[in-house]
Amino acid sequence: MADITVYLCKCFGEIAATVDLEIVRAGLGDNPSVSSAEIVDSLCLNRDLETMAHQIREGVTQKVLIAACSSLARGDRIVRGLVHRGVRRTDIHLVDIREGCAWIHAGDPDGATGKAERLIDMGLAHLENVQTSDDVSVKINNEVMVIGAGPAGLAAATSLARSGITVHVIERAPHPGGMLRLVSRLYPKDSAASSRLEPYLDELERNPLITVYPRAKLQSIRGYTGNYKIRLSSGDDEHNLSPGAVIIASGAKVLLPDGLFRYGEVANVISQMELETRFRKGAVATKNAVFIQCVGARCQDRPYCSTICCPASIKNAARLKAENPVANVFVIHRDIMMPGSVLEGYYRHVMAQGVRFIRCEKDRPPEIIGTDRIEAVSVYDAVTGSTRTIDADLAVLSTPLIPNDDNRRIAELLGLQLDRYGFFREIYPMHPVETRMDGVFICGSARWPVSSDVAITQGEAAAMKAAALLARSQAAASDFSRVPGRKFGHARVNVETCSGCGNCMAVCPFDAIRLQKVEGKYSHVSRVNKMRCKACGNCVSVCPNGTMQMPEHNYLSVGEMIRRAF
Amino acid sequence: MMVQNNEKNPVLVVGGGVAGIIAAFDLAEMGRTVHLVDSAPLLGGQVAKLDKIYPTDHCAFCPLWTDIKKVQEHHRVIVHTTSKVTDITQDADGYNVVIVCDPPAIDESLCIFCGRCVDTCTKGAVRPLWAHAYPPAYFIDRQLCAECGDCVDVCPTEAINLNRTEVELFLAVDEVIWATGFKEADLSTLPEFGMGTHPDVMTSLEFEEWIAEAGVNKGTITRKVNGAVPKNIAFIQCVGARDQRMLPYCSAVCCMHALKQAQWVKRRNPLIDCTILYTDLRTVGRGYNEYSLRELHESAITFIRGRPGLIHPLPTGDAIAIKYENTLTQTREIAKFDMVVLNGNLQTSPARKAADSQHIPPLNGEGFVDTMQDEIPRYACGFNLEPADIAESVIQASSAAMKVTIKEELQK
Amino acid sequence: METETTRQPRILVFACRWCGLIGADGAGKNRIALPSNFRIIPVECAAYVEPDAIIRALASGIDGTIVMGCHVGGCRFNDANHAAIKRLELLKELLDATGVGRDRLLISFGTAHEDHQFAEVIRDYFDTVAALPPLEPWVSTLTMKHLSRS
Repeated sequence: MADITVYLCKCFGEIAATVDLEIVRAGLGDNPSVSSAEIVDSLCLNRDLETMAHQIREGVTQKVLIAACSSLARGDRIVRGLVHRGVRRTDIHLVDIREGCAWIHAGDPDGATGKAERLIDMGLAHLENVQTSDDVSVKINNEVMVIGAGPAGLAAATSLARSGITVHVIERAPHPGGMLRLVSRLYPKDSAASSRLEPYLDELERNPLITVYPRAKLQSIRGYTGNYKIRLSSGDDEHNLSPGAVIIASGAKVLLPDGLFRYGEVANVISQMELETRFRKGAVATKNAVFIQCVGARCQDRPYCSTICCPASIKNAARLKAENPVANVFVIHRDIMMPGSVLEGYYRHVMAQGVRFIRCEKDRPPEIIGTDRIEAVSVYDAVTGSTRTIDADLAVLSTPLIPNDDNRRIAELLGLQLDRYGFFREIYPMHPVETRMDGVFICGSARWPVSSDVAITQGEAAAMKAAALLARSQAAASDFSRVPGRKFGHARVNVETCSGCGNCMAVCPFDAIRLQKVEGKYSHVSRVNKMRCKACGNCVSVCPNGTMQMPEHNYLSVGEMIRRAF
Repeated sequence: MMVQNNEKNPVLVVGGGVAGIIAAFDLAEMGRTVHLVDSAPLLGGQVAKLDKIYPTDHCAFCPLWTDIKKVQEHHRVIVHTTSKVTDITQDADGYNVVIVCDPPAIDESLCIFCGRCVDTCTKGAVRPLWAHAYPPAYFIDRQLCAECGDCVDVCPTEAINLNRTEVELFLAVDEVIWATGFKEADLSTLPEFGMGTHPDVMTSLEFEEWIAEAGVNKGTITRKVNGAVPKNIAFIQCVGARDQRMLPYCSAVCCMHALKQAQWVKRRNPLIDCTILYTDLRTVGRGYNEYSLRELHESAITFIRGRPGLIHPLPTGDAIAIKYENTLTQTREIAKFDMVVLNGNLQTSPARKAADSQHIPPLNGEGFVDTMQDEIPRYACGFNLEPADIAESVIQASSAAMKVTIKEELQK
Repeated sequence: METETTRQPRILVFACRWCGLIGADGAGKNRIALPSNFRIIPVECAAYVEPDAIIRALASGIDGTIVMGCHVGGCRFNDANHAAIKRLELLKELLDATGVGRDRLLISFGTAHEDHQFAEVIRDYFDTVAALPPLEPWVSTLTMKHLSRS
């Protein structure tokens, strides 16, 4: 059927100087699918777009092939301009005969012309065979579920509620607060953690849009972006929620220094969290205190830096010094991780208060000396090049945050990925609170170890992303394309030929495929979740019998393009 | 020229780098009109001009590009490039802003990149915007331009107009988010670092441009002084930073930046020795410490803990001597290097062109935006707020956008 | 008619729209001269490239194929290219095992994203393929029928 119009762009002579467009047009005369071929000076100026759109609307033609510059140059503008003027995206195909032909074969006009003919013929092959993926529209429920009521979750929940969104905060502990309940004071202002927490707790009470579910356990999660169906228990009660988005703010836990630095063997060798607990009860007396950094971190087992241990130790060292002015307080470290303005300033301030810093080496860690209780710490001081023995009545081991045990379960329920340690994976680099699942956001230490201040900022950021999603009452699967503006598409299963092998399900980077039982078939059949599918093509490539196809780039289209390439 | 205020609760985002782009997009998605202002001809800020980003070895422009396009195509975002905020005052309703736009001589919406203007220009004043601008366009350097008008005549789309004048825009906005990012501070007050004494002593961003795959050397590493392959390169950290004489704070991103540059040097030419002179190797952030442990070649990167006392070219003019104390061996050394890269001197870019009596935005003692001076909330993200990497800047941007969104609620 | 031994090699390139096409586009913008006997089929992600398509290409008289994708860690479809790289490496084994030869497929992930890199990859591959013995045309009419609707 002759339903394709071809526009050949001279590009003001840039293409025409090398490619003989008259020959190309003449060749198209034999092609049965081409209804007409036109040579024009330009295609990308507004007046050209108007003319083309008009011709397409008025004419017999359905599809249009544009032979012009690359999509990265002006080609994209042409395509968008046509779509804007009512032409369907899959009816347009752009063939690059400028950057991809005229400009790289300027010395070979015959070769360039021949190549242009072939490229255009391949483009026609595409248009003759292209099919269109069906889009799907989903309602976006104006509710959000926040997992975790620590600083990140609280910040997210209160931000959302204040913007008019109903929020359900689920928390596995009996009370909200997370890390803010466990630490005593916060740096750099030495403010009480409770004073940071209180305004959020007040908001939870006051704001009718926020509901808290303490002692919560997630039972099941179904659904997709805009319409998650969640069953959970809170104490003895069961609840069903239907949020449009989910924010994971479930935090992390502190590694206990078991087996490290004689913890548990020798009295007064304690963890940072134990020090916080002591501080919560009152002042801590000491004459000689030593903090040891990177305990169980930046090592073979855990090569990462946990971000918050240096600030936490420095904060607590300052407090010990303030409460015990004549005490000797040391921080033994391998690098002081206090980047930025606030942290570096705080570090200087604490140094000025008389806390002393000793740099040790990774291969020569400090040693705890003492039988029943700690008496001293021996350490190789890397900067003086000598081993020192420091009297100590208290050693505080600074350990990293590690992922919560239930991250794995949450990840499975929501289809998320974890990094090699077990923290939730993000979309690097520009979308750090977003995940491979649209509508599921991550913040706070569940994402990566952070202090409560930064967790709060991240909670606000995740709330922003959730609010932006919920700002539309409905969305189409095409709105969640990885590359907005590109042709939308998603994989399509031929139910007749699917043998249920599951290759596609295994390889999908977006966990978009499931095997389902189908009436009348002995084998399961693949089913593609149109919201999750991002049209990467992996499933098509691993399908053993051509069952899985990408309608916009299908088997016939590719085969014909290959056949016409030379 | 007055911009009509049938715009929906407009917000001004000053700065079109990674932070500004994300803040603008988030607000636009919430239904607000956003004016996004940047002094450069393109969005993307400092990050877009980098060769590579850490820790994934991406080319810098590529991951940014989708977000730049999204913001450019968003119907509620009005992008003002080649523009600066020249004045800003605050009243009960919000801010009154004056933006001055210096339109480029070549209209990028008409430029088809044919290059006839380049071929015609006898002064070499026409060049592409930068290697990874999409769609590409040419740009006239007005310093070199002789205003002969030959390019105007040859341009097939009449995209060139040498007589474009500055345009002043008056905007009334509800709120402002500051996101102007950073620039490299002048090092002339710290002569011991040798800036300006030898062509191969350069700042980190200069080195980035010099070794960029898309740059003049196509990724090969050579000395500026004679084009030869360097035997070794020294990366000096904390230059001007963590320094009471200049910038007392830590610029946060330089340790990772130096690691990235050193790793890429070794990847492209494993024979070049790389040494990093540091104080604390701050590899905080997801994947950063692991990145510092990567060994790309048998000869790893050498780390020396110490700050140079003097960087000076040798009298023979060949190599550059660095005198330092290796604090972990307690020895004083003088070593010769073929190239020296200075890292650390990052400060916030000025937020507006002219100072104003109302001091907007107010800055704290270290030059960052004071977000709660006089109990008036100000919104800033990225380097305007604190030295920050891409992830942190972008998170702060969304956080600022959220706070702007619920501002009225917060004030109750 | 050209004989198999005298004609220029025919190269088919599957290039992802990111690392691959950006390099090709760069070569175009900078007007780098290249031999004309190659064609590019753009794909959204290198993961789209079915091993089947490579085999059909080689079966229809194409002498060499290149698949261009993004570097490991750089795929914007959540590392979809990882599976693609493994799949294509396996395909190279298959090409060896069947006597077609692994050199008929060049895998270029993250090595062609700049103009000069793309040009170098193309030029080098033309040399590589030119030095290979001609592929016997083992296409049957039955196979050709499957390749098109006509």
